[in-house]
Amino acid sequence: MSRSSYLHPATVALHTGYLPDSEYGARAVPIYQTTSYVFADVDEGASLFNVEQGGHIYSRITNPTVAVLEQRIAALEGGSGAVCTASGMSAIYTALITLCSAGDHIVASAQLYGSTMTLLKHTLSRLGIETTFVPINNAEALAGAIRDNTKLVFCESIGNPGLEVADLPAVGAIANARGLPLVVDATFATPCLCRPIEHGANVVVHSVTKWMGGHGVAIGGVVVDGGNFDWGAAGRFPELTEPYAPFHGICFWEEFGPAALAMKLRAESMRDIGAAMTPHNAFLILQGVETLSLRMRQHIANTRELLAWLPRQDGVVWVNHPELPDHPNHALAQRLFPDGAGAMLTFGVVGGRAGGAAFINALQLASHLANVGDARTLVLHPGSTTHSRLDAPSMQAAGITVDMIRVSVGLEAVADVMSDFGRGLRAAQAVAQQQAEAECT
Amino acid sequence: MYLDVLGAPAFFATGGQAFRPERPTVLFVHGSGLDHRCWALQARWFAFHGYSVLAPDLPGHGLSRGAALTDIETMGHWLAQGLAAAGATATHVVGHSQGFLCALALAHHAPERVKSLIGIGTAATIAVNPDLIAAAESDAARAADMMLRWGFGYAAQLGVSAVPGMQPIAIGRAIMSRNPLAADLKACAAYDAGSEVARSVQAPARLILSRQDRMTPLKAGIALAELLNAPYRILDGYGHMLPIEAPKPCLTCLRELLGELAAPAGA
Repeated sequence: MSRSSYLHPATVALHTGYLPDSEYGARAVPIYQTTSYVFADVDEGASLFNVEQGGHIYSRITNPTVAVLEQRIAALEGGSGAVCTASGMSAIYTALITLCSAGDHIVASAQLYGSTMTLLKHTLSRLGIETTFVPINNAEALAGAIRDNTKLVFCESIGNPGLEVADLPAVGAIANARGLPLVVDATFATPCLCRPIEHGANVVVHSVTKWMGGHGVAIGGVVVDGGNFDWGAAGRFPELTEPYAPFHGICFWEEFGPAALAMKLRAESMRDIGAAMTPHNAFLILQGVETLSLRMRQHIANTRELLAWLPRQDGVVWVNHPELPDHPNHALAQRLFPDGAGAMLTFGVVGGRAGGAAFINALQLASHLANVGDARTLVLHPGSTTHSRLDAPSMQAAGITVDMIRVSVGLEAVADVMSDFGRGLRAAQAVAQQQAEAECT
Repeated sequence: MYLDVLGAPAFFATGGQAFRPERPTVLFVHGSGLDHRCWALQARWFAFHGYSVLAPDLPGHGLSRGAALTDIETMGHWLAQGLAAAGATATHVVGHSQGFLCALALAHHAPERVKSLIGIGTAATIAVNPDLIAAAESDAARAADMMLRWGFGYAAQLGVSAVPGMQPIAIGRAIMSRNPLAADLKACAAYDAGSEVARSVQAPARLILSRQDRMTPLKAGIALAELLNAPYRILDGYGHMLPIEAPKPCLTCLRELLGELAAPAGA
């Protein structure tokens, strides 16, 4: 059970946020495919615009189908509220831009998804928001990077693609002690495997495109307000504690307390930036969320079988996953992810970059594409795709090597995946053999 | 706004509008472990519709400083002092659960400051299980869980929210775990003057009750209404935490009831 519901997660995933509607009794959540909502009268319209009551105005800001997904994810994560967005990247952007202004500073993990890295390093710096990247579990480096103008600490609960596990309680304690919220991208874990708010995070973001949806048919993101950060005591967030002119000087912290961030994010970022999730996408992602706990169980089971199988194969140079005893964060992963440390794994193949390419080109079942968290097994060579924009030191800091194959383990019969990977490994071995022969001649 | 009440800074939410004592004033009094944030979606409406609003955090709650008060009579006295500090004269007092016991104590202690009374999810006496008090003394979050599990109705337990995307249980839990819940519960349990005070109150009163209220059951609410000679409304499908779990029906009732009791200026 989370902090937001006394029902068990599997029940939350199926029921939270929705009662069959009184008009038709629809059991499934309907798609409210509408841009706007009729006001009962002028006064009700004015009251909605002035945040005097809850309700819907325009689907860029709220939508009934999207709201069910938001309430469901908030309950799964144990947050006070959630706001869904058009994509995972827009979730990160709206969360950061709600808390940061020009002249502010962020401390972030050096191991992040490539697009998050470029958002922090290039796009936000263009807006006057600077980021310092640190090894997130190095307490000294983290504390030393915090400045007077720092507004938050950002990390991924399981880093992409290095699979570094962030010590959320330790990182959260350092951040909170300095009056900073910890913002965690928990996409790789989902709330089935780890609820970061219970471990010290204050804001959680997801790309719900991934395991939350699980079917690979809809893009979306979400920001969850943990409701556990004292924005007033922190003394760093006039965005939340001072009057906000566009709503008659509303002070979000005073008025909404534990939901202040979610309310501000919706009132400002969804209104002004408008990266809204469509109701149809919310419906599609809801279908995935309803079976999340079942799917994650099978993702983890398949991952564990591959983790046992891969190291025994010729052609595999190394295997990386937080559940492996030689992973640097193994003990931490066991503590924070007792039900499984995610369905992503990486491994190196013989033959270096060319061997990696041969492996991927030989596969028939696994799909080579830039996504993770699908029901189907997906593979990628990060060094030439998602992280190709990073320079060499950044790639090294992100834990990426040229021979790295990233695998998002799917739900197929794992024997068929092993058979497919065997085909790929034989191709990599052939490349390595050719390289060895070339060196000899 | 902050006011000095009995020597300590006290926070009074004003619904997003500056307090204007010349307007009809609505005083919102929160229940056990809560604070002004439970009135977020009622106070703001009244503040923008011709009323002045005061929604205080009792000492030690929310944004108010000072030690928690330990009995209902003292809370009533504190409210009277707060109204005096704000420059408010006779007010319409709205109290939820324990907040209505405080409103009764205010009406008893300073009847001149009370124009009318509206109770929400309340009773003349509010029994509190000793196990709940013990839990609140050792772990406010655990006690909050016990109360919210018992206090929210079925729809709120399912995470249905009047405010899109929000989770009332988590919001209630976050508020209650930071406030002096144990002191409030002990004050409630010890207060036995409710029936006597209710019989003697001169101000007109109204009650908003819930059929599924398991903390102040409907029959106890109706008994209080009879003592006050107060008309009452019954909301279906909700539990005890009406201001949070049913903000819109609660607001609608308040608008209608206050409309009967007061004609706002400039509305």
